Amino acid sequence: MRFDPWMLLDYWELLLQGTWLTIRITVMALVLGYLLGIGVALLGMARSRTLRAIAGTYVEVLRNIPFIIILFLVYYGLPFSGVRMPALFAGTLALSLFVSAYYSEIVRAAILALPRGQFESARAIGMSPAQAMWNVVAPQVLRTIIPPSTNMTLTMMKESAVLSSITVPELTYQGLVIQGNTFAPFEVFAAITLIYWMIAIVIAETSRRLEARVGLAQRQSVTRNPIADRYLSLERRPAR
Amino acid sequence: MTATLALKVEGLTKQFRGTTALDSVYLEIQPGEIVALIGPSGCGKSTFLRCLTWLEQPDDGFIEVAGQPFGRERIGAVVRRQSGREIDRIRPRIGLVFQQLNLWPHLTALENIVRPQIVVLKRPREEATRRARDLLARLGLADRAERYPHSLSGGQKQRVAIARALAMDPALMLFDEPTSALDPELVGEVLAVLRQLAEAGTTMLVVTHEIGFAANVADRIAFMDHGRIVEEGPARQLIDAPRDPRLKGFLDLVLSHRDGPAPPLA
Ligand SMILES: Nc1ncnc2c1ncn2[C@@H]1O[C@H](COP(=O)(O)OP(=O)(O)O)[C@@H](O)[C@H]1O
Ligand SMILES: [Mg+2]
Repeated sequence: MRFDPWMLLDYWELLLQGTWLTIRITVMALVLGYLLGIGVALLGMARSRTLRAIAGTYVEVLRNIPFIIILFLVYYGLPFSGVRMPALFAGTLALSLFVSAYYSEIVRAAILALPRGQFESARAIGMSPAQAMWNVVAPQVLRTIIPPSTNMTLTMMKESAVLSSITVPELTYQGLVIQGNTFAPFEVFAAITLIYWMIAIVIAETSRRLEARVGLAQRQSVTRNPIADRYLSLERRPAR
Repeated sequence: MTATLALKVEGLTKQFRGTTALDSVYLEIQPGEIVALIGPSGCGKSTFLRCLTWLEQPDDGFIEVAGQPFGRERIGAVVRRQSGREIDRIRPRIGLVFQQLNLWPHLTALENIVRPQIVVLKRPREEATRRARDLLARLGLADRAERYPHSLSGGQKQRVAIARALAMDPALMLFDEPTSALDPELVGEVLAVLRQLAEAGTTMLVVTHEIGFAANVADRIAFMDHGRIVEEGPARQLIDAPRDPRLKGFLDLVLSHRDGPAPPLA
């Protein structure tokens, strides 16, 4: 048995297709997951106890079951309620649900770490809750959420390999196909490792640039110590 | 017909799980009048200002700002709570300068003043900018417009916070202990700004423990204890001839500390 990576060149098309689909799934789940995550984070800070409980349950459930079970529940479960969907759609949805639970916790923690006086001064001057969020809270939160969100996005990207189990033809699935044809599992998965690693580098680099850009606009502003602010402000009182 | 009051508060009450922070507070402020609110720590002064801006929802009582009911209104015998949108519309009429200032650190001094005018009052940016620059100049900050809050001194930040509130054309300005978060050498600077506002005819309710300011700048003093205004009257009279024993005790305590360490109040 010889190590012969060159034979993979015959399958470059499949590898490329798989790579491209993995990237698309990751981006879709990032966007959809973040939209859901922001929604759940805001729900988790609502005044109504019921809404808060709903958000809490959502996060608890999704964080405490293996991703592959979420995937099976969505793919095999939803047809019972009359919804039929293609594997790609079900897989991306499951991935979005999975990652949204973590994104929502990141957003929630970042908002709670901001001194409450920031939101209150916007409200006191006449801004609606949405206007205060958009003009005062969101720009300050943006910077804090980028690093943890990047970590979560990397985890989610890697987790997308599980979609191969419901025949979504992403990178890992194509690897399995090629392996079936070539009987050269080591060469195939070495190549796939390399590709995942490169995708991860691109994600990390993109995030680094984004952070630098946001940071540039805010470098001057973020000199406060949020913990000191939180406990030294006489106007703040613990919520509830 | 008498002139419309800048502020009229009737029976304002607020409880926090059993503790009564405000106990049926009554207060009237004429346009152009300066009222100092004094009282021991924890007597309800901050809660009063927070209820006046509806950051804290009072349990009971009525507020009128420049003749306009705020928060709750009476329609015949029925009391109606205003909607969030109605409350937001009236809020700019009351300018609140927080004890912690709460400037927005991601915006320049200028933008701190411009943004709420655009978002809340729907002013065009040019007009809002003109108004902001005008106020900054009046408060001696013309050359600080492009600075971010962190690079301003405590006194400068305070003036930006004042300008931010003034730009909304409030009928009344509220200050929560404007000198307490500052280094002692800056206190004079802030008191001078308040005096300047007073001369320009700004209506103000100032929570303070600077008895000197209360005596010299305020028209009237209201003394609060345990969530009630127990005595109020012309500033000098209240200080020179206090009637309520609690006010006497309070003044003794404050005045005896005047040249010593800061009084244990805030
Ligand atoms: N959010 C809150 N929850 C519970 N108690 C509060 C809250 N805000 C104020 N209080 C209580 O109300 C009383 C008045 O407080 P405050 O208005 O801050 O007094 P002051 O500003 O005069 O020092 C205090 O006993 C305080 O502990
Ligand atoms: Mg206070």
